[in-house]
Amino acid sequence: MRRDMWTRKRAGAVATAALVALGVSACGGGGSGDSGDGGEVDGEGKTLDVWIMQGTNPSADAFFEEVATAFTEETGAELNVEFVEWADAHDRFVTSIAGNTTPDVAETGTTWTPEFADAGALAPLDDYVAEAGLGDDLVDGLVEAGTYEEQLYGMPWYAGVRSLVYNTEILEQAGVEPPTTWAEIEAAAKAIKAEFPDKTAVAVPGDAEFTVYPWVWGAGGEVATLDGDTWTSGLDSPEAQEGLEFWTGLAADGYSSAGATTWRETDVLDAFAQGDVGMAIMGSWTPGAVVEANADMEGKFAAVPIPGKDGGISPSVLGGSHLSVFETAEDKDLAFAFVELMTTGEFATKWGEQAGYFPGQKSLLDETLQSTDPLVAPFAQQFVEGGASVPVSPNFGAVQAKLTTSTMMQSILSGSEDVATASAKAAEEMTSLLNGGS
Amino acid sequence: MTSTLPVAAPAGPGQTPGTGRRRPLGRSLLARVRPWMLLTPALLVLAVLLLWPLVRVALFSLQDYGLREIVSGEPNWIGLGNFVEIFTSEQLWAVVLPNTVVFAVLSVAFTVVFGTAVAVLLASLGRVWRTVVSSAIMAAWAMPAVTGTYVWVWIFDADRGVFNHVLQALGLQDAPVNWFTDRWSFYAIVLLNVVHHGFPFVAITVLAGLLGVPKELLEAAEIDGAGAWRRFFSVIVPQLKQIFAVVIILSTIWDFKVFAQVYLMPGGAGSNREVLNLGVWSYTESFGQNRYGFGSAIAVLLTLLLLGITVAYVRTILKEEEL
Repeated sequence: MRRDMWTRKRAGAVATAALVALGVSACGGGGSGDSGDGGEVDGEGKTLDVWIMQGTNPSADAFFEEVATAFTEETGAELNVEFVEWADAHDRFVTSIAGNTTPDVAETGTTWTPEFADAGALAPLDDYVAEAGLGDDLVDGLVEAGTYEEQLYGMPWYAGVRSLVYNTEILEQAGVEPPTTWAEIEAAAKAIKAEFPDKTAVAVPGDAEFTVYPWVWGAGGEVATLDGDTWTSGLDSPEAQEGLEFWTGLAADGYSSAGATTWRETDVLDAFAQGDVGMAIMGSWTPGAVVEANADMEGKFAAVPIPGKDGGISPSVLGGSHLSVFETAEDKDLAFAFVELMTTGEFATKWGEQAGYFPGQKSLLDETLQSTDPLVAPFAQQFVEGGASVPVSPNFGAVQAKLTTSTMMQSILSGSEDVATASAKAAEEMTSLLNGGS
Repeated sequence: MTSTLPVAAPAGPGQTPGTGRRRPLGRSLLARVRPWMLLTPALLVLAVLLLWPLVRVALFSLQDYGLREIVSGEPNWIGLGNFVEIFTSEQLWAVVLPNTVVFAVLSVAFTVVFGTAVAVLLASLGRVWRTVVSSAIMAAWAMPAVTGTYVWVWIFDADRGVFNHVLQALGLQDAPVNWFTDRWSFYAIVLLNVVHHGFPFVAITVLAGLLGVPKELLEAAEIDGAGAWRRFFSVIVPQLKQIFAVVIILSTIWDFKVFAQVYLMPGGAGSNREVLNLGVWSYTESFGQNRYGFGSAIAVLLTLLLLGITVAYVRTILKEEEL
């Protein structure tokens, strides 16, 4: 078996190299899209290939059956949906870009859109959006994330946001109210720890970058800013350091757990679902997963927007997906007809409801905001009043891949570096990577 | 290869002056070409699947090759730039190389020693117990690296792992410790994982060799007054030299290339820079950031390194053989 593993690994590497090689020789054909001649789309006899990420919507199969029927009714074309695992998706996109075998339309995570656009794999959508009269009705944060060099490459589809989720039973027994300021978070954590010494009062995970940025922004700092052509990371500014100091300080005071130093968001979710965690930063899409993991948690947890330092809201990243049309799509009008069907109106609303995300169309979002559900309303408030974007650069993927922020967090949490040293290193690395260095 | 062909007795024309019969030119050419013709399909497959990718990797290593180049198909030569970057990287010398080399040396040593000890045990067992024990170690061998790694991660998990639990129950430790954040304890766990996964191969291979050692030799040594240790090191080990060579070379190659066992550990994917090894470093530096040229350069270096180690090792073995 050991030997098998060795050969299999080699075979994998060889196959990748072979694919890359094939891609090089197969390239040359490009997009020759005739953009927007308007009017009805005739897709009779055609098939549209679509990649959708797996696991976002538990009832995705039934959903896409309905979409396919509606799509065929509208355009006459067949719909071929393939589900792709998030974990494999980036590699699959890259190999398919290399082999010129990209789908016609695909769901692209918001941080990937500028990267693939920069590689020349995506078709700009501005003309189509203007023609459909959607220009003013798309959620700003998602438009910003999908715009690269002044052109829109990612059609806003859905997004979620992280807020402060808490275990209502634990907070009640510890006699604390849901916190609204940083001082209250600390006080609540202290009270929980006193009542439940074996539980994690507040989870401070080391390998979850999106749980870190709210504290940087909340203290008035910036993750990175663009001036002209040059990015500068602000992780080492006094404000950012104050935020990091507060967040990691909760762990230093013993309110987190030793294991959390290497936790990812999935580990936070597992521990929270087991009822072992008092408070944690978790996404608007996670309540379903918590109940699925442990049915006993139903009705025993709620959320509040991430408190600002002295009240208000600390901003949190709008994480979500675009629908992108690839340059390899033969009939781009048909492709956009599908994109429009998915991202607006009935289907966009339905997807949001089933998956626990917010739609990317403003007029639909307004309806969601009327909700009074304790696991929807706080997230909706965060979404609208405290939404933010990570730096929109094709190189931000490199920062994520290098785990710059997680590295900083882990070295602070494990005690090997202090906030000043670790944040200075992280800022230096992020600045270099964002500007195309290594 | 030629000896298995239904060509006349001589293994190859030209080397057989004794047969005396000169064949017509056409036939001898055919005889000379035939083996190659028979080999052609296999060689073609090897060339397409192994040689061409190998050449491509070497070519990529001389380029700044990213997503943009993949899409455009244009080459982007930068000479030895990637190699210069690798060799001037402080991380390589301070972290990556020591982690890789020291770990490989330790794990090869432990794997071979432990595997051999198990083989000796197996050889001295009766049939029933030998079957039972070898089935048990086969289970460790059959476990996929990913599954095995997760099991070790659970065992050493800070909050719910059995290891911390036992330490605390015994009063050796007051609060849970996260064993994955420290370079040494991290690699101690990887070492356990890799040795546990690697020793069955050594045990089974060495056992096959042990069973082949002539009984008379051992008896003669015993009569001459050699104790068990002496018999093992002076009689058995020299007999198994070739087997040890194979086992050590293969283990070295595997343990240099360790990836999943590090990458899947908490912090092992790059957020703990102290524990990067060559495999993970090349993955996060290149593929995570679409720098395929840089990744290829690391792959080329790793190949050359392993080739060097193997050649040096095989040569020493052969030299000793000649004496």
